[in-house]
Formats: sequence, structure tokens, C-alpha cells
Amino acid sequence: MNGNKNESAVVEQLTELQLVLRVYVQSLLPGDSSAHDVTQQANSTIWRKRGDFEIGTNFKAWAFSIARYEVLNYRKQQARSARLGFSMELNETIAEEISTRSGELESRHDALQRCLESLKAKDRELLLHRYHSTATLQEFSHRTGRSVGGLKVTLHRLRSVLLNCISNRLEAEEGRV
Amino acid sequence: MSPSERDRLIDALIDGEIPDADVLRLEAEMSIDPAVRSAYYERLELSVLLENTLEAEVVSMEATASTRTWSKWGLSAMGAAAAVALVSGIFLGGEFGSASGTSVAEKQATGFGVLVGQVDATWSNDTNLKEGDLVPPGPLQLLSGVAQIELFSGVSVVVEGEAAFEIHSPMDVSMGAGKLRARVPEAAQGFRVRSTEGDVVDLGTEFAINVMAGQSEVHVLDGEVEWHPKEGATQLLDGGQAMNWRGSGHSEILTADASAFVGVAEIGVKRIESRYSQMEDWMNYSANLRADPRLVSYYKMGTNDPWSRRLRNISELGSECVGEGAVVAAAAVADRWGRLGHALDFSPMGSRVRVVVPGEYRSMTFLTWVKINSLDRWYNSLFLTDGHDLHEPHWQILNDGRLFFSVKKYDTNNESTGQQAKYNFHSPQFWDASLSGQWLMIATVYNVDGREVTHYVNGRVLSREAIPEEYLVETVEIGAASIGNWGEPYSEDPAFTVRNLNGSMDEFAFFEAALSDDEIADIYHHGKP
Repeated sequence: MNGNKNESAVVEQLTELQLVLRVYVQSLLPGDSSAHDVTQQANSTIWRKRGDFEIGTNFKAWAFSIARYEVLNYRKQQARSARLGFSMELNETIAEEISTRSGELESRHDALQRCLESLKAKDRELLLHRYHSTATLQEFSHRTGRSVGGLKVTLHRLRSVLLNCISNRLEAEEGRV
Repeated sequence: MSPSERDRLIDALIDGEIPDADVLRLEAEMSIDPAVRSAYYERLELSVLLENTLEAEVVSMEATASTRTWSKWGLSAMGAAAAVALVSGIFLGGEFGSASGTSVAEKQATGFGVLVGQVDATWSNDTNLKEGDLVPPGPLQLLSGVAQIELFSGVSVVVEGEAAFEIHSPMDVSMGAGKLRARVPEAAQGFRVRSTEGDVVDLGTEFAINVMAGQSEVHVLDGEVEWHPKEGATQLLDGGQAMNWRGSGHSEILTADASAFVGVAEIGVKRIESRYSQMEDWMNYSANLRADPRLVSYYKMGTNDPWSRRLRNISELGSECVGEGAVVAAAAVADRWGRLGHALDFSPMGSRVRVVVPGEYRSMTFLTWVKINSLDRWYNSLFLTDGHDLHEPHWQILNDGRLFFSVKKYDTNNESTGQQAKYNFHSPQFWDASLSGQWLMIATVYNVDGREVTHYVNGRVLSREAIPEEYLVETVEIGAASIGNWGEPYSEDPAFTVRNLNGSMDEFAFFEAALSDDEIADIYHHGKP
């Protein structure tokens, strides 16, 4: 029965950890489209090794150490075709800081949803395209008649607008309680 | 480096479109300046949150197209519930005609929304709502617990018991007593909640109301609402404001208190907790079940190793004679507890679990937990022997929603006497599209000594029928068979009929005895998600 308890605890914690795990892996592989696959690989390894996890110890730290290993493993495989990445030291710092960042991702997530509602339809469409569609920005540019350069600038601006909106909302909420 | 240049480079880095020279510049800044790293984390988190949010939006739009996307990591239980809600809700819109194309009238259902989640909820006697049910019109009473309802307008409401309320339309709810918290999207602005003291009309986006004896309290958590009292002038309340109303002249402006009302996120967490505690109860119960000497084969449709395509027979005694099941084509999905990879989706073409069941049997019980997407084939397989030879059982669901069980008695139909090769035990219709995506426990008992066949759904007797004397088979054989499909897998003809179950299974059990009504009810009681 102990095994089952362990299993459900792992499922629950792993589900909760998904977003942070993605941030963690992407922070070490910025701009790399394989980051998603590496995250999945980490998930799969965490699942396979779930018997090793000791209930009561820090699940996040345990899961991150596995993810870290998967990132290194991936980097080793890619060594030859490697794009320029950060130095070992910087990655070390990032890994440590990301894993100790306070977890308000959930409330940021809620705030983001509200902030998205306040955007214009065409801006939302651009974001939807960028973050979901597999089509390129070029194709979107053809379809909408907007230049690629212009779209990139808009994307950058939208992110800044959203970040501002999120932090305003969170501040407002804190002030209210 | 100016903050604006810093942010531009960080976005280029995250997008994978940064020149090498700029990577080096950014790295230099990041190594020495925690503020730059902090900006990096913040923009990266935004990127992941955007991916996740927009992905969920697209998944829910595509929910009808494929249930397999639910198995994606990171899709929460709430996401799946929302997708179920969409699937159940869609056919009301009338965009999709009947699957078989044979029925004359388009299918209809009744309700203004779907109960997507509840925790410790007790409804008054006449309404016993389950998760995934359409919420009926008319007065409703939630005696205790909390319930989350998604109305077809897009409004999501959380009601806390004890509460009395009625949904008049997806834009209009009246609250007789109790607490309600509503999240109103742009598309549903103008959503109204009526109380004895007056009406709240939402101008977007979130508010709560507590209706007590002789007074109502409105809390605006975000956006604006209009308060239309029965007596007195309309008032506008802003986000962060609350108002206690005891009739005209007795109103008081307060500060909104979100913590006084259960929200969508809170109910989500509570649901996960209660689901896991039920799962643990089932694990204990099914551990005893495994030792039941009558149990011949028992498969849970998940393996510890995600790459293995074998299912171990976990019946303690039965595994001596019946071995493992081999998974063909079926895809790993979440089981009824929401655990990924612990159920099989049989909807991919050709899906089945191959088993061999040697020996001879007298009375039998077949039992499975299934989640049916739709009954779009003439025959929707549960458990069938290859072909259909003498003395073999077939267990399936017909496209009109009836359960079907038979054991073949004669080689062929006799043209001159009119005697059929077998007698088919049909249940009445138990399934329609409103059950799509819901986990059900289906069981059928073939009782030779009692001379009857009984069909069960969710622990209750669906129908019971005597076995006609001339069709009684006292020695049943199974041999090679498939769970979730039917066919002649060893045939050299590549053509085959499509009979795989369009749905998922997470457990399948076969007993060499007739289980009693109470035993079946007990299994359901402990195993229901």
C-alpha cells in the first residue's frame, strides 16, 4: 500500500510542478525548441524513478535535479551542433535562483488571464499564433499583411504590456486584502 | 545596457533569434547583475504562462475533435473537466448531427450548464447531481459542500451549501439563500443574479453574493456591477467594494472580501484532494478483490513501465492459468482518478487488448470501468471471443445504447424451426450522448444456476432476464479473445469490420461465478471516482 501512496503523492506533486518545471528547463535552454521535449523526457524519468522519491523530502528539489540531469544529457548529445549557450557558472546560478524563486506562478497565471482579456482581438490573435500555432511568423505576416519586423516589435511590446498589467493586478490584489 | 535594450535582448533570446554577439553581451550583464537575471526569469515565466494559457484555450476549442489531447502533461483536472463540459455541451448547439446519421430528429438535451466539479456536495433528495451532469432547470438545493457550474454563456459560478437557487437561463440565476461566486467573461456581460432584496447585474468580471434572511451582501472582486434594489435607485459598485443591503435606507458600504467565497482554483485543489483519497480507498478495496478466489482475470490498464505494452493479470489465483494481456494500438490516457497512463483509449483504429482464457466456465461475471466518447459503430466492443464459436460469450454495446450479452448455443440458425444459434440478452437503453466522457462501471452476470442474465450500470440493476431453457449453455469456453474490440486477428483477409470501443477503459475483471447484486453495488461504491 505504501507504494500506492507514494504513487498518488508523486502524481499530485508532479502535476502541480508542471509550469515551474517548464520554466526551469527553458531557463537553461533559452530559445531552444527542444526544451519542450527535454521537459517531457524529465517527466518520464521522474515517473520511472518515482519509487526513489522519499515522501516528506523536497519533491521540487528532487524533480529539478532530474530535470537538470536531462538538460545536461541533452546538451552533451547536441555538443557538436551546439548553438551558443550560457557558461556553466551562469547556468549554475540560474538553476539555483529559479528553483528558489517564490512560487506565485499560480496567481500570475490568473492575473495573466484577466490581462489577456483586456487586449485587442488582433493582438490576442498574434499571441495565439506565436504561442500555439506551428506556422511561422512569415506565414502570419502574409496572411495579415503586416511586416515580420513590425510583428516582432508588437510581440515584444505586448509582453511588456502584459508584465506591467500582471504586476499592477497583483499589487492591487495585495492591497485589497 | 538600458532596461529597454535589456528586455529586447531577453525576448530575442527566449525566441531563439538572438545573434551570438548579443548572447555574450547579455551573459556578461546577467553574470554580474541580479536585476537582469530577474528580468530574464520574469519574461521567461510570462512566455511559459502564455504557452500554457493559450494552449488550454485551443485545447478546449478542439475538445470535440480528439480526447487524446487530454493526456498531455500539464493539463489539469480542471482542464479535462472543462473539456468534458464542452463535449457534453456541444450537441446542444446543434452543430453536430447524430453520429449514425440514421435518426430523423436532431438530438436534444435539457439544461443551461454543466456541473464541472463538486466537493463534499449533498443535494436535496430529488436532485442527485454528479460531476459532468447537465444542471436541470427548476429550483435546486445544495445542502452542504461546494459545486462549480459552467453555464453555456461562459459564466462560471461556485455555489456554497447550504444554498437554494435556480438557473432561469445561462444569463439569469436567482439566489434564495446562500453564497454564490461568479466569474463573468466579456461574452456574458449583463449576467444577472436575483435575490429577494434586488438584482446584481455584472458589467464584468467577478463578483460574489451572500443571500441571508432579510439581507443581501454583494462583493465586487474585480470589474464593476450594478445593484438594482427592489426599492430605491440603481447603484454602481466598483472592484474592491462590497455592500450590505437590508432594505432601502439600511445599506452599508464595506470592503470586498474574496476569501469569504470559495473560488474556482480552490475547488480545483479540493477536488484533487478528495479524488486521491477516494483512490486510496479503492486501492485498499481492490487489493482484497485481487485475492478473491472467484476472480479469473483482472487487468488494470496501466503498467509501471510506460513503454511496456503488456498488462499483467493481477488476480492472485487466476494468474496461475490466465496470463498477461497484450495491448494493440490503444493509447495510454488518464484513468478515472486522473492519473496519466493508467487507462487505455481504444479509439485508435484496430485498438484491443489480446488475451487467452483457457478452461471451461459455468456462471460468470464481467465487470469493467469505461468512459465512452460515443457509440458510433453498430457494435461497440467490451469483451468478445474471436469470431463466434460454439459456447463462447460476446459482451458489447449496441449503437442505440443497449448492453448486449450472448453465449453461442448452436452452430447455425435453424431455418426450418426458426431456432437461432444464440439468445441475445439486451438491456434497455442506458447510454446517450449526455453520458459522453463520464466514467461508468458496467457489469453483466451470467448465472447458470439461477437461470438468468443481469446487466448492471454503476452498481445498479439495469435489467434481469431468464435464460430460455433451449439456450442455456452450462459449459462456457473463451479461449482467444479481445478486450475493447472484436475480430478474427489470425485471419489472412486484411479487411475487418470496425467495432473497437470509441472510449477508454481503466479496469477489466472476469469472475468464474455469479456475483450478487450487493457485491456489484459494493464494488461500485468503493470504486466510483
